[in-house]
Amino acid sequence: MRAIDAGILVCPECHQLNRREENHDGLQCVRCGARVHARHPNSLGRTWALLLTAAILYIPANLLPIMTVSALGKGEPDTIMSGVVALVQMGSLPVALVVFVASILVPTFKLVGIALLLISVQRHQALSARQRILMFRFIEWIGRWSMLDIFVIATLVAVVNFGTLARVEPNLGAVAFATVVILTMLAATTFDPRLIWDNTESDDDHE
Amino acid sequence: MHDSSRSHDLGELSLDKLVACHECDLLMLKPELAPSERAECPRCGFELFSYQPHMLGRSLALVIAALLLYVPANFLPILQLRLLGQTTEDTVWSAVAALYESDLQGIAVVVFLCSMGIPLLKLLCQLVVLLSIRWDVGRGYGLLLYRIYHHLREWGMLEVYFMGILVSIVKLLSLADLAVGTGLACFICLLLVQVWLEITMSPHQVWEALSRGRAHASH
Ligand SMILES: [Zn+2]
Ligand SMILES: [Zn+2]
Repeated sequence: MRAIDAGILVCPECHQLNRREENHDGLQCVRCGARVHARHPNSLGRTWALLLTAAILYIPANLLPIMTVSALGKGEPDTIMSGVVALVQMGSLPVALVVFVASILVPTFKLVGIALLLISVQRHQALSARQRILMFRFIEWIGRWSMLDIFVIATLVAVVNFGTLARVEPNLGAVAFATVVILTMLAATTFDPRLIWDNTESDDDHE
Repeated sequence: MHDSSRSHDLGELSLDKLVACHECDLLMLKPELAPSERAECPRCGFELFSYQPHMLGRSLALVIAALLLYVPANFLPILQLRLLGQTTEDTVWSAVAALYESDLQGIAVVVFLCSMGIPLLKLLCQLVVLLSIRWDVGRGYGLLLYRIYHHLREWGMLEVYFMGILVSIVKLLSLADLAVGTGLACFICLLLVQVWLEITMSPHQVWEALSRGRAHASH
């Protein structure tokens, strides 16, 4: 039985149970005072909006250089992909793999994964509820790791700072990339995982 | 657990005998937990709550340790690079400053928040919450700060930053003379203490403690 069927709403912040009052969709949590809704209001619409913005920015994030490494006045712009290729050429395959996963695989997987979740919730189909919740948890957990490249840029900019001899400068691609990561993280928080179970009562139901 | 979801009059029971899964909305009877046990949702596997013994004292010790480590971790050199007689140093703070001096201030703000600002705010929120439970004062503020803490949680990214330092080290090794500084050791300690703290400070117990105090006050 779902809590919503028993007229009970779960506080989104402190998980306290609250009894639903007649004719009220939203109320204040008795414990922490947060606004409590049966499901996040307009969860699907907001998640779609954040996701589409992220998808558009995904293009400049991958095409524009994220930083320029200059030595003796000659600058060489680096995109995310060329950074990975450089690591492979240096022979550090494990690190290249970590950066590839965090900067290329994960953002792509997140965009596709959240879109799949939204579509399967809206169409009531495709994946089983258990598959979808595992995917959601994975997306929620992995999201922050894509910031890796931004922190690498920060460290390099600070430490490779020898004036004209050698320096590293951040470029616009880094802004686009950081924005994509932040937007997909927000999309994972606006998505209400309870929607996954709402239209699949038959699947894994214990009744 | 399965029996509890089968019965149809769960909704009639008093709310403190029940618990609902935050992720799938399954309603069930609240299980009794022994110290160090954790309860999981039978349907989706989400952790409902865990019970940590001596939560308050241990968490307080960890918060204070983390706050003491915060300053050296952020302001002592993490990396030193030598090139043709010149030496540069990298601290978490100097990385933010260097980004700010480039023309992309937005990135500097993001890096500052994820590596310094939000981790510090999180620790301060935790400290005030724990103190308000221990001294039984200002529970209302405690509740508010603990809500803020939960919103900030995933935006503090110390472990990702640490990974970023490791990747930078690999990138720089072939280029120049590189040395790691004491700041790195402090940073790793801060990271470990913070992870340990998040495991110890069981949210369910904190919320219970915060609300218990308020019920006292209103009677
Ligand atoms: Zn609440
Ligand atoms: Zn569940």
